[in-house]
Amino acid sequence: MLEQLYNALFVGSVYALFALGFALVFSVLDILNLAHPTTFMLGAFAAYFAMTAVGLPWYVAGVLAFFVCGAFGIALDRIAFAPLRRRSAPGLSAMISSLAVTLIVVRLIELRYGGDFITFPAGAVPSLVLRIGDAVLEGIRLGIVVLSIVLMLGLTYVVRRTQLGRDLRALAENPRAARILGVDVDRAISATFFVSSALGGLAGVLLAFAYNTLDSRMGLPLELRAFTVMVVGGMGSLPGAVIGAYILGLGEVASLVYLPTELRDAFAFGLLFLVLIVRPTGLLGHRAADRV
Amino acid sequence: MARLKTAFASTFICALLVAACGGTTTPPTGTGVAATSGAPKADIKIGLATSKSGAANFYNPQQSNGALLAVEQINNAGGINGAKLQLIIEDDGSARDQGITAFRKFIEQDKVAAILGPTLSAVAAGAHPVAQQSGVPVIAISNTGLGIVGKCDYGPCDWIFRASLGEQTAVPETVKAATSKLGLKKVVIIYGDGKFELDDLTIFKDAFKANGVTVAKEIAYTAKDVDFAPFVTQAKAEGPDAIVASSLAGPAGKILDEVAKQMPGKRVIGGNGLNSAALLSNANAGLMIVGTAWSRASTDKANTDFISAYKAKFNTEPDQFAAQSHTAMLVLADALKRSGNPTDKAAVKKALEATKDLPTPLGAFSFTADHDVKQPTFVMTAKDGQFTPFQ
Amino acid sequence: METLLEFFRTYATAIAVIGISALLALSVWLTLYAGQLTLGNAAFMGVGAYVSALLGRHLDTPFPLALLSGALAAAVIAVPLGVTVFRLRGVYLAIATLAFGEIVRVILLATPITGKGQGLNGIPPKTELWHIYLSLAVVAYVLWRVQGSTVGRAWAALREDELASASQGIDVRRFKLASFVIGALIAGWAGGLSAHLTFSIDPSDFGFSKAVQILVFAVVGGIPNVLGPIVGAVVFTALPEILRPLKDYRDIFQGLILLGVIVFLPRGLVTFLDVRRTRKLERIGAADVA
Repeated sequence: MLEQLYNALFVGSVYALFALGFALVFSVLDILNLAHPTTFMLGAFAAYFAMTAVGLPWYVAGVLAFFVCGAFGIALDRIAFAPLRRRSAPGLSAMISSLAVTLIVVRLIELRYGGDFITFPAGAVPSLVLRIGDAVLEGIRLGIVVLSIVLMLGLTYVVRRTQLGRDLRALAENPRAARILGVDVDRAISATFFVSSALGGLAGVLLAFAYNTLDSRMGLPLELRAFTVMVVGGMGSLPGAVIGAYILGLGEVASLVYLPTELRDAFAFGLLFLVLIVRPTGLLGHRAADRV
Repeated sequence: MARLKTAFASTFICALLVAACGGTTTPPTGTGVAATSGAPKADIKIGLATSKSGAANFYNPQQSNGALLAVEQINNAGGINGAKLQLIIEDDGSARDQGITAFRKFIEQDKVAAILGPTLSAVAAGAHPVAQQSGVPVIAISNTGLGIVGKCDYGPCDWIFRASLGEQTAVPETVKAATSKLGLKKVVIIYGDGKFELDDLTIFKDAFKANGVTVAKEIAYTAKDVDFAPFVTQAKAEGPDAIVASSLAGPAGKILDEVAKQMPGKRVIGGNGLNSAALLSNANAGLMIVGTAWSRASTDKANTDFISAYKAKFNTEPDQFAAQSHTAMLVLADALKRSGNPTDKAAVKKALEATKDLPTPLGAFSFTADHDVKQPTFVMTAKDGQFTPFQ
Repeated sequence: METLLEFFRTYATAIAVIGISALLALSVWLTLYAGQLTLGNAAFMGVGAYVSALLGRHLDTPFPLALLSGALAAAVIAVPLGVTVFRLRGVYLAIATLAFGEIVRVILLATPITGKGQGLNGIPPKTELWHIYLSLAVVAYVLWRVQGSTVGRAWAALREDELASASQGIDVRRFKLASFVIGALIAGWAGGLSAHLTFSIDPSDFGFSKAVQILVFAVVGGIPNVLGPIVGAVVFTALPEILRPLKDYRDIFQGLILLGVIVFLPRGLVTFLDVRRTRKLERIGAADVA
């Protein structure tokens, strides 16, 4: 039982790491960035490239992937979102332009690395395994759990207590007013995309390390889960996203233990549906309903 | 800026129009490998529908390469009674409607003598009936599920042949070998929710029953699951002698890792999904037991020749899917030769049915009365990045 | 003549799929026009597909009746769903309908009669091209007439400002529900047609990616009128076939074209002709009146 609790904690951390960046962009810009899974995948491949082609150690590769993905986020904004903002396009268009970027980047990766999953060379990623009786604790998994909590706290601190955070919140409330009040809107948007994508890329690297495998579609399964996590926690709330992620992780593992396994997936979406009907603002959300 | 945009837009529209017309009026743009100059007879066209894009694109380039190599070898050796083979490869996009369109294009536009493919069973469920209706012979090269040949849901399927070892044959052999060597009493099956995985689940359950092994629990995962630790923890609670992974290679790799960590010493039994070159680089690949259609270690001359020619041409090791598409092309060429008239589809079908002990990388090749491949199953495990016989 | 026939025989399925895509795009256009972003129409399509195929298989129901039953089943399910999600707007509504779609998929995966994950195979191919294009013509004509009527104006008003519409005496609840249910009806009908086209259906045909695809057709085509979703569906269903000669680079070009269209014509392909006019208005600072 304790083992399953630990599993749930890890699964929740994975969802949280992925959902944080996704929620950040949504909370500031009201954009559902469908290229987030792609950024996640790109992080894993950037690290793989750094390790196999350049020969860097795993931790340098991880840091590198963080910055590569941050830069990719800024480029993504310039290519897929900024032109839409200039034309004050409907919010839906952003979903579609990010989808187009996904199509292109996934295919480019497939042309370079093939569509099948690949594995890091043996010993490239250190594995630290602790055995306590029957249970198994792994260094990388514990690291991910700790890191997702640290990142959540750090990001919350930045948003609540720093000048950048104040700019972001002003931007989230009203872009036009923010500009008038002297907020460097373009810089704030770039910062949002840098942080969101760098976190997404880091999540990809860590998961690729934890599972010792990466492939061009590795981010897609997390996309729907990220929606769930955001709704449960409250759209636009970063701590909410993390709490939502742990609730989903726990719920999924609990339904694996207690429900017929075929209906396990129904749990996640049933929960999502229920939250939307009963409390659309989620656990920590405050905005009643979104603009169309 | 405004002018630039208009220019862009009109270029885009023009490009679309050109592409649209280009797509319909130019001759087939497949990957022709035949030399056209000086051929005394018209080329014999063969279609290959395979997943070059979409979810199953990882079966390529091997699946295409195996067939390409066979065509090159056959043409260099004089072709089909003097006529060259021309292989036309179309992407089925891992999607049923695209697979159907690829098949229709082969039949209506290219007027092929026969078709190989498509990659996925779910695509074949739509594409094979098209060829059946038109009376064009098909050899399935990677469909292993139920209802591909013999008894099909869409009615008669006598134009469909299969060169890929079905799970109905491979899984019982694997289960038998594993049960006797490991002394299995109780297993837990972890299975995915796709067509392939569910077919495998059915076949595994029957096979274990036949061998007197209890299936203590069946645990479903979905295509959207990323972490397999909870599933294996759940399986461990039943105290099984082995874990069965009714899955594709990606999830299987994660199951192998978790079993290695949580249940040291236990093995993982799997179906054709585990026959993956990518899985061989997994550090725990040695735990798996899997029935395969092709053994790299087989010392048949047809097999060793195939491996060395493949390596020379593509500078990489072939896998099972390359061996199967290569074999299907050899079988087809042999039937075309014996048919007397390659443009007579009924004659080709008859010749295919009469295939008898043709030497191929898969061994001496014949079809059963149901048009299924008749070949031995190799029960394998992995060692040092290679599939090796399980003993 | 011969080549033309050959073209039609080759691309019969592709042309049929284009028509079905257009129907689906219209089904989601209807809700978008009334200001509701739903991602549930893939699931309604699935309901129509499974109900019609199962009726044909087990009760020998005549094809038109089976199609109609499938469409009605989708509409009947849409009523309670529409009532439940009535309060939600924008992304919330999208995610709620998406969750509904996933629940439908899980039920299909867990129910023996639907063949679980193996789906239904060997469905007789009863759908003819004219069935699809006649349906499309009828649906497009009706929606075009409705758009110009009071109902259509009420929907447009809802989209622009729900509160203002309510204060003008528009029964918001009824009009929203109507667009939702009629959308489901069209999607269910399209689902029945598609089930009898490609011999086989399985739950993965009606998942998240299908829902997004339908949305792409409608949005990229354009919401201003019924022509938009049809143009979007035709262009982006035909594109994979048109781009076939590009082989390995097909997806990349598809992505580039999608990106180009949405960036340069964010309100849809059908606004292409308006672009110059809008530009001029933007320059004199009157974009909002355009």
